[in-house]
Amino acid sequence: MAATLCVKLLQKQGWLPLAQSVRHGSKAVTRHRKPMHILKQKIMAVTKYIPPPRAAPPGAYPSPTRRVQEDNGLVKLMKRDLKNLFQDCKMLAVVQDNASNAEEMVILKHRLYKHGITVRVYPNRVMHSFLSDTVYRNMAPLFIGPTVMFVSKEPKVTPMLTTLRSSPHVTLLGACIDNTLLSAEGVLNYSKLPSVTVVQGELVSGLTMLTSSTAATLQRHPAHLSALLQQYITQQTAGPDSSAEEAT
Amino acid sequence: MKMFEIPPDYSDVVIPEKPKLKFLDKVPTLKKVKKEMKKLRDIQGPAKAANSFTTGQYAVVAMGGGYLHWGHMEMMRLTINRKFDSRTTFARWRVNAPYKPITRKGLGQRMGGGKGAIDHYVTPVRYGRLILEVGGKVELGEVEHILTEVAKKLPFPAKVMSRETLEAMQNEQAAMEQNNQNPWTFKQVVQGNMLGIRRVCSPFDLHHHGRFTGKFHLPGRV
Repeated sequence: MAATLCVKLLQKQGWLPLAQSVRHGSKAVTRHRKPMHILKQKIMAVTKYIPPPRAAPPGAYPSPTRRVQEDNGLVKLMKRDLKNLFQDCKMLAVVQDNASNAEEMVILKHRLYKHGITVRVYPNRVMHSFLSDTVYRNMAPLFIGPTVMFVSKEPKVTPMLTTLRSSPHVTLLGACIDNTLLSAEGVLNYSKLPSVTVVQGELVSGLTMLTSSTAATLQRHPAHLSALLQQYITQQTAGPDSSAEEAT
Repeated sequence: MKMFEIPPDYSDVVIPEKPKLKFLDKVPTLKKVKKEMKKLRDIQGPAKAANSFTTGQYAVVAMGGGYLHWGHMEMMRLTINRKFDSRTTFARWRVNAPYKPITRKGLGQRMGGGKGAIDHYVTPVRYGRLILEVGGKVELGEVEHILTEVAKKLPFPAKVMSRETLEAMQNEQAAMEQNNQNPWTFKQVVQGNMLGIRRVCSPFDLHHHGRFTGKFHLPGRV
């Protein structure tokens, strides 16, 4: 179409160049990335985004105050439970058990339940945070590693020790009996103590020893009593003299 | 202590009756077919239409400009319909069926002799446009691998995004604009025609502040 027009023009007018150079570049939107004019490149480099200066990378300095995490519902429940436990129970024993499977735990729990001892497991972190607020904060070092708590209302140490002896990998760490912290040896000594009734009996007998002895001597024959009194008088009279002789 | 996350609640999610992607025509039904100019500016710059979520939760978002033709749409439709469980997930098109005619001349033809005949139709897509929207009783992790599979096959770079990630991207851009420590910005230089830079910049750069070049998006520019 252009050639026919040109031919007509050539015929009518003067000279038109045969070769017409058409210079065209690519469009604005290309498949490749178009080379940018150097001035535009410079402007793009000058107007780059500079981020705000970072004060310090996170974790470079240790934070001065530990953030206190609020307890979630489960932890609050556990702490309430623990508070009741510490109020009610007289004996709390802390025991470490590695490698005891569910079967052995069930047997242990059964044996202890017969004597009225319950087995409780609480996470160590919860125990630590609870104990740090109470009077029993010196118990905190006991709760390290896999620990289990034996709690009971009555301090029945001997049955507990016998059951623990039967399972070798369960070791007693310590106990809090009647608001006194005891180590493992302390618990053993406590178990060897005589029971409360025996001690009370001993105390009563000790207090009433004099009166009971007088009651017993009075029940003897009066001749025996008079002989005793005679001997006592002679001793009294001879006593100060013999002591004076010994002195000189 | 180990605390378990509560699984998400999908009771308020409604799955439409036709959860699968519908078939899109190769050729639009028109009475009169008209050849159209190339108008490559329909690919330039950021998207103004269909750049936000409507009903779905996750989407494939275009990170550059380009044309989608029927082959791409068929690929997307078949992959999605095959891989998605229609009881739990639904998908929606966010692009139109191809409507822009592309002409081609026959093989070996010389320049001249008029415009070529219409070869096929395409849909133009700009940066930031949503291609597919997916929703339902699923989390991103379940759907991500399918959508990335689709996104890789598109002719422009595309990303899988959720509502939160899209919002985060927009917020990040706004934050960058606010916290820029550089006293000189491209916008300031071009608007004030400093150093006579309008000689080498187009009005397109004036509008889009140097963030786009042709169909490409330049990341990290403010």
